[in-house]
Amino acid sequence: MAVEEKTIEETKWQLFWNGFKPYVLALLIAFAISGAIIGLLGYNIPKAYQTLLFTSFTSRRGFIETLKKFIPLTFATYAFAIPFRIRFFNIGGWGQMLFGGAMTAIVGIALSGFNLPAVIFIPTLLIVAMIAGALFAVIAGFLKAYYNINPIISTIMLNFIAFYFVNFIATNEPWKAPLSGHPMTLRLPEAAILPKLFGQIHLGIVVVGIAIFAIYFLMNRTVLGYEIKATGLNPDASSVYGIKMKRTLMITFLIAGAMGGLGGGIEVMGVHSRLIEGFALTSGAQYGIFGILTALICQGNPLGVPISALFISILLVGADAMQRTLQVPVELVFLTQAIIVLLIVILRRKAGGSFIE
Amino acid sequence: MTNKNKVLETKNISKSFGSVQALDKVNFDLNEGEIHGLLGENGAGKSTLMNVLYGLYKEDEGEIYIRGEKVEFNSPIDSIKKGIGMIHQSSTLVPEFTALENLILGTEGNKMTLELKDSEQKILELQEDFGLKFPLNVKVKNLPAGIKQKVEIIRAIYRGANILILDEPTTSLVAEEFEQLLKSLKKMVNNGVTIVFITHKIKEVLQACDRASVLTGGVMQGTLNTKKASKDDLVKLMFGTHEIDITESAIPIIDVPEVEKSKEPILTLNNISAKSKEKDGTDLKSVTFDIYGAEILGIAGISGNGQKELAEVIIDPNNITEGEISLKGEKINGITTNKVFSKNVTYIPEDRKKESILGLGNIKDNVLLGHQREKKYQSSGIVKWDKVKQDAKNIIKEYQVKTPDENKRIGKLSGGNIQRVVIGRALLNDLDLLVTHSPTAGLDMASVEFVFKRLVELRSKGTAVLYINEDLDELMEVSDRIGVIHEGKIVDIFEKDQFDKYKIGSKMIGG
Repeated sequence: MAVEEKTIEETKWQLFWNGFKPYVLALLIAFAISGAIIGLLGYNIPKAYQTLLFTSFTSRRGFIETLKKFIPLTFATYAFAIPFRIRFFNIGGWGQMLFGGAMTAIVGIALSGFNLPAVIFIPTLLIVAMIAGALFAVIAGFLKAYYNINPIISTIMLNFIAFYFVNFIATNEPWKAPLSGHPMTLRLPEAAILPKLFGQIHLGIVVVGIAIFAIYFLMNRTVLGYEIKATGLNPDASSVYGIKMKRTLMITFLIAGAMGGLGGGIEVMGVHSRLIEGFALTSGAQYGIFGILTALICQGNPLGVPISALFISILLVGADAMQRTLQVPVELVFLTQAIIVLLIVILRRKAGGSFIE
Repeated sequence: MTNKNKVLETKNISKSFGSVQALDKVNFDLNEGEIHGLLGENGAGKSTLMNVLYGLYKEDEGEIYIRGEKVEFNSPIDSIKKGIGMIHQSSTLVPEFTALENLILGTEGNKMTLELKDSEQKILELQEDFGLKFPLNVKVKNLPAGIKQKVEIIRAIYRGANILILDEPTTSLVAEEFEQLLKSLKKMVNNGVTIVFITHKIKEVLQACDRASVLTGGVMQGTLNTKKASKDDLVKLMFGTHEIDITESAIPIIDVPEVEKSKEPILTLNNISAKSKEKDGTDLKSVTFDIYGAEILGIAGISGNGQKELAEVIIDPNNITEGEISLKGEKINGITTNKVFSKNVTYIPEDRKKESILGLGNIKDNVLLGHQREKKYQSSGIVKWDKVKQDAKNIIKEYQVKTPDENKRIGKLSGGNIQRVVIGRALLNDLDLLVTHSPTAGLDMASVEFVFKRLVELRSKGTAVLYINEDLDELMEVSDRIGVIHEGKIVDIFEKDQFDKYKIGSKMIGG
């Protein structure tokens, strides 16, 4: 008996290592490649790496910047990761953030005359952001379920709609801020703005924590989460055993959109205090794209999402610092990230791993 | 030392996949012009051995000799050059090409134009010689499985194969077609072809082969001359001391007790018509029958005649276009699968990997499938994983599933073990009706016996069993009645005292 258990123990450890090996290898190879490029371009390699990897930990500002990116990035990652569980691609995380943010601003401004206390105002707006994002995303789910339109196409189109919707709100009465050069709305009432907890870090970090727990619970403990998982593992068998594909599909888009919308709403309520055109951007690229990349690194695993998002946030902060202090172009880090994702996908396939777990 | 008289010989071939030793020092040889049966249960390593000989897998250890000459196969191209041809269990033809196009595909390497005329002439001669007739200008996707097999055999011979490996060639054939195939094989042997005939049916080996080798668990148990050996000799080699009584058709003998069937039918189909969910499926046309409690109603038919649609119309009555279906006297037209399952009905589909299980999920995930909304397994939408875990453990213990624990990925288990989990899952609730489609396909003898016993047990408990199967021998073993399905219609229903392989077989092909 004892011997048998030991072998099982070993295989478990092996499984664990087999699961991690592709990540370790991918990181090492990707950093080696980007290191070579940094060197070829004539920059100081150790210094570049030091800045890239440790800025988040060596200064208070770096740490705060990292968390500021981590909040929206985690939501954008969930927006992609959840439909990815059943092998649909939600490219619309960005649009869902924009739409959630815009609706938050509209409702926030509309309610500004009521003098609501923060304990009511803030949760109300967070719920508005979630509902807005969910409804916006479920359009793509609906089009797939009933008209068989690929969500990749519909969500990209919805991104444009969301972008110009934000633009419209930010440049038209009664929302637009008078006398501002950049398109933006009026400031939200004070009671609608997320309070700062430390430095620039606002209540959004707590909301992220709740969201991480809620998604974990939903995916791992509930019947709905089980049905999503089963559909992802084998849509044919799931449908034979009574799990409705169309329903599951629409629900994953609802959850994804709710996450995206919440991410957008929190940016509006916590960072800018108003809707600003181009608010869901970081390092010159939109969070939606980083969300896809981040979700691919963890293969859509709900528990992997925050880890992966933290890692990418560290790189993004490090990349900005590297550009500022060493003039190493930030694009080099985007390149590294892209190589990491490609390598992880390749190495996992080679190891016989599945596309999703 | 190698023997020059042997057409093919392997020495100590070993092959493992991860921790599984699929072949362990296997010695195997072929005499010129024989039909050599390779017998073994599913998972015994038969296909692995042949895939090594065909160059699809590279052996870890050991040597292969062809007519005394040592050979290295790195891909099927090498083995085809040495005259080895393989007919796989599932078709490897291009469905959109005609039979003729498939036959010449890849053979006219150096020519810029396809000289079909010459090839056609040669192929017609081969067809004539071996009695393998089929239309050359019909797209392969429109040909039935039995004909596709003929195309594949001719293709191998046309490419110059003189050692032909047939992997479970009888799976989709009726009795008559099997006899035809046998005649063709004998003709090929007379023309100098040597044949390896892979099967798990002892009866077929005795009928078709000159010699037979038995593999179990990747180990070669020995080779017998089938002209001298009896069924019992082969059984001993296959099962060793493990005793299973089997019939002449090499299926386990099951004691089917007398039971009184229920007075009222459990399930009634009255003139049911339904469109197939699949593009090239068969629509159901005015199907009428009853099943009573404590009765096994067998459904016989050639694969693809509406069996799947019949099963699906019962578990998903939403799909019915015409007619009335009722369960225990209550009309169930239009209700959802979940509702049907909640009425003590369950379904074990035909395609185990595709439709029964979540291959990438663990055993627990799979035990819950189909039960996830039952009160037993959830409260207010939260899964009771403890209960699922307990039931998974019980299934593993009660049905002797070979697995370290309930967290093992189910896709890594053997077919027999997967089916034990699937059946265990189906039996978690008391059943009024079980719909099952080929539950024994591809299973080893012990697992086939296991499945049969469960079906008969259910029958004794008063459950109605709709047992769809393409294997007539198996149907006749356990069914109380057998309905024959042809082109989406139930064309006849035979009572137990009328069971006759040839009569039922001829109804199956539309006679």
